[in-house]
Amino acid sequence: MQTVAARPQAPRRRLRFTWAKKQALWGFVFALPALILFALFSFIPIARTFYFSFFRYDMLTPATYVGLHNFQSVLSDPTFGQSVVTTVIYVLGTYVPTLAVALLFALALNMKIKARAFFRTVYFVPVVMSMVVVTVIWRLMFQHYGLINVTVLNPLHIGTIDWLNSETYAPIGLILMSIWKELGFYIIIFLAGLQNIPSEYYEAAKVDGAKNLAAFRHITLPLLQPTILFASIMAMINGAQIFIPQYVMTSGGPVNATNVLALNIYQTAFVYLLAGKAAAMSVLLFVFLGIISALQFRFYRSSQ
Amino acid sequence: MPSAGMILVHVLLLAGVVVMITPFVYMISTSFKTMNDVFTVPVQWIPRTLEWHNFVDGWQAQPFGRYFFNSVFVATAVTMLNLITCSLAAYSFAKFRYVFRGLFFSLVLMTLMVPYVALIVPLFLVVRDLGWVNSYVGLIVPAGTSAFGIFLLRQHMLSIPDELLASARIDGASEPRIYWQVILPLSRNALSALAIFIFTWNWDSFLWPLLVVQSESLRTLPLGIASFNSSYSTNYPELMAVALLAMLPVLTLFLLMQRNFIEAMTLSGVKG
Repeated sequence: MQTVAARPQAPRRRLRFTWAKKQALWGFVFALPALILFALFSFIPIARTFYFSFFRYDMLTPATYVGLHNFQSVLSDPTFGQSVVTTVIYVLGTYVPTLAVALLFALALNMKIKARAFFRTVYFVPVVMSMVVVTVIWRLMFQHYGLINVTVLNPLHIGTIDWLNSETYAPIGLILMSIWKELGFYIIIFLAGLQNIPSEYYEAAKVDGAKNLAAFRHITLPLLQPTILFASIMAMINGAQIFIPQYVMTSGGPVNATNVLALNIYQTAFVYLLAGKAAAMSVLLFVFLGIISALQFRFYRSSQ
Repeated sequence: MPSAGMILVHVLLLAGVVVMITPFVYMISTSFKTMNDVFTVPVQWIPRTLEWHNFVDGWQAQPFGRYFFNSVFVATAVTMLNLITCSLAAYSFAKFRYVFRGLFFSLVLMTLMVPYVALIVPLFLVVRDLGWVNSYVGLIVPAGTSAFGIFLLRQHMLSIPDELLASARIDGASEPRIYWQVILPLSRNALSALAIFIFTWNWDSFLWPLLVVQSESLRTLPLGIASFNSSYSTNYPELMAVALLAMLPVLTLFLLMQRNFIEAMTLSGVKG
């Protein structure tokens, strides 16, 4: 506003007005490229997902309105129910251990450790690796004479597991792989959270004679809660959309044992050409994730 | 004399290192083996012979050179596009006042909560209506901006003092010039963090290319590796060799710029 103040008295009001207007226009122009992209590739698709969930549409011939038929068909489809269960098992099976172990390692790294940077780097390598590459490596490791059976299970006399062809073990295998891949990311997140806790708190606790475990329970955990909440929401939103390992390693099999929701949506739309039904599934996923995030926030607020 | 507790902690951390590194070593070791030596008991960590030709044969089993170029080209273009659109929008949201600014910004942030998978069908339809299926434009433009990027850069730009912009205006600098010569240089760190994040993210991109690419000549590396993986009777040494080559760019980038990398990834954690 200093520019305006420097101008002569008489036309001041008009000048300020046009200056503000010009600034507003520039602001809008600068936001425009991103807004156009968001409109085309986020807002319109979001609206269309809801819209198409009420239509039968094969993406080739014109859509026909079918009311709630898609939702009825989705909810009565046993494959959909199964893919929801598979996804929930994957998310819980992967992220409950991942978050717990990541917290443990973050606590360890937060102590006076030699070569902390080295450990951090090594744990982080799987995070930057491409998911497709990770998947093909683990597919090799899960073979009959692959690394897991030969080096881990056989010496422990557990025998040989046919990982990729077993309805029980294929989902477990994918969970193990995902834990390996994701761990480093959450270690870093938790480490950042831990380093934000002022050390005075611990010193005060020490003066009061608190043991390590008590300090962890009464200082670390409460102060780390926002980080834990964030990590779990993020884990859930990412986990619910998992697609690559199931597509590349097991193609959803054996017998739909790894047919997660994202794979089911993909196949429904692009293999069976039931875009309306896939849209209905998407809407349910959308609403479900929204509810869970809201609940997690609620839970977090009420525990404060 | 270190305490028993500290020794235990170091043992735990080292055990973690072994678990993290082993699959990686297994991959490298396999990439040098003959097909016969892949499934030996016990595992042959150091191959009897070094079959360098696996890298050449694997690379030529499919047009991986072409896939590699596509990956580099698409990921670079997406990154550049994001740097431009995100920094412009972030500057606008941080330093300008106009109607609907708050609404626009909230709408952008809202998309962070939308599961990508739920959008693939209508997103594909939009791109099809634009006539962009099976083209570079179709691979690049839909990924051309990011809510996370706008948020990250806006947070950074809020800390740039308004007086600086005001004095640039007094000096008669035009708005685009202020953006280019004041805002961008002052945001260098945030921009490089964003660039790393977007590039890595897109190097890994799979679902969208899977939908939009139809001809072999447009495939990116992840698609190529997945199709090599599913080909009848997988040649594991060659597959591992190709996978190793495919991850080299990002791995090198990571090892060279670890601190920025980890910072970039952690920043995505600060937004909560």
